[in-house]
Amino acid sequence: MTFVSTPHPASQAMTLHWSPRSPFVRKVMIVLHETGLLDRVTCVRNVVGMNQLNDQVMLDNPLNKIPTLVLADGRKLYDSRVICDFLDGLHNGTRLVPADRARYLQAMTWQALGDGFIDVLLLWRNWYNDRGLPHDCADDPFLNAFNAKCHAVLAALEAQAAELEAAPFGLGHIAIGCALGQLDFRWSFIAWRPGHPALAHWYQQFQSRPAVVATAIRDDNAPSAT
Amino acid sequence: MTGGMTLHWSPLSPFVRKVMCVIHERRLAGQVRCVRTKVSRYVPNAALLAINPLMRIPTLELGNGSVLFDSVVICEYLDTLGHGPGLYPQQADRRWQALRWQALGDGLCDTLIVWRHERERPEAQQQQDFLHASALKLSSTLQLLEHEVAQLDTVAYGIGHIAIGCALGYLAVRFADVSWHASHPQLAQWQQRFEARESSQLSAPAHA
Repeated sequence: MTFVSTPHPASQAMTLHWSPRSPFVRKVMIVLHETGLLDRVTCVRNVVGMNQLNDQVMLDNPLNKIPTLVLADGRKLYDSRVICDFLDGLHNGTRLVPADRARYLQAMTWQALGDGFIDVLLLWRNWYNDRGLPHDCADDPFLNAFNAKCHAVLAALEAQAAELEAAPFGLGHIAIGCALGQLDFRWSFIAWRPGHPALAHWYQQFQSRPAVVATAIRDDNAPSAT
Repeated sequence: MTGGMTLHWSPLSPFVRKVMCVIHERRLAGQVRCVRTKVSRYVPNAALLAINPLMRIPTLELGNGSVLFDSVVICEYLDTLGHGPGLYPQQADRRWQALRWQALGDGLCDTLIVWRHERERPEAQQQQDFLHASALKLSSTLQLLEHEVAQLDTVAYGIGHIAIGCALGYLAVRFADVSWHASHPQLAQWQQRFEARESSQLSAPAHA
């Protein structure tokens, strides 16, 4: 299931539309650190938001999304899953995409869970910000639905924490770790660790990886509409 | 033993339609039971939540108790079960091209779905900035696709084509008021060819 790109000059000098506070960009940055490919990529700071179109980004991605990777030959790659998979084929170290079919399916489903959780958190935040609601507004059915998903995801991850620890580190772990990072960054009042001790233990290990430390989400206070 | 799969399904979801297209292209209809599963923004579906904490469709239950999501994962898995030419190119550059097209189609669906929810709100509650931004993203995407039709027609039919076709199909159903065909003639013709395929006809959105 892993694909090896033949060494391609277009992958020697790449440009990444980047932000230090985007969890999806962080997935790509972690992959770059883990695989030793960081020096092949120039990161270009771009601010995007749901209402904030960025002309530079839209030249390369009409959906105004980051991360977007531009290869030396002008080809564009998105979304974060495609970029991470592509990068994993460029190095000769330990792969982040499993070769074994069963492990591959598990890793890809974990990635879908992590990415989907990030989507929920981003949409949740946009909903709050757009409407100027306090973060503990309990009566809105939309918010209650979000809340239900958040707790269901955490419960599912708690149940799978032992499997996460046992499986070789890969794209699934990265997506889940970035989702929990987003939860801590934007929703720090949600104290999830006491109720999910196994997940908290796994996450502590995740956070201790040099690639994760190097890419910690930080708000550089770039002007943003949201 | 890969028979006995259950797909949580709805007639109008473009992501479900992607999966149905793959099922029909790969001749797997006899192995998958479709179960109508209601997903609402406001009302949690407890049964679905229990197997997919993101509470989204499509969700695929395999015969062995495993559960797969989302559509990107499900489509790739189902492709491995089929016989004959697959929907995922083997050659590296063609593969990235196909996967980028899938990301483009899926991303367009994501944009359209959120846009649709916003414009169905009472007018006083609508965010004009957001509606405007959504319209611009659509026009930029259509412009890019118009430019890339020649490429789409050059390479073998695959997951990228399916994702783009399903996105345009969703646009036709939920944004029938947006007229783009005259200004994007290549893409309009491409969409007709997509809809004429047997797998597209079998999976076409039907108003429930």
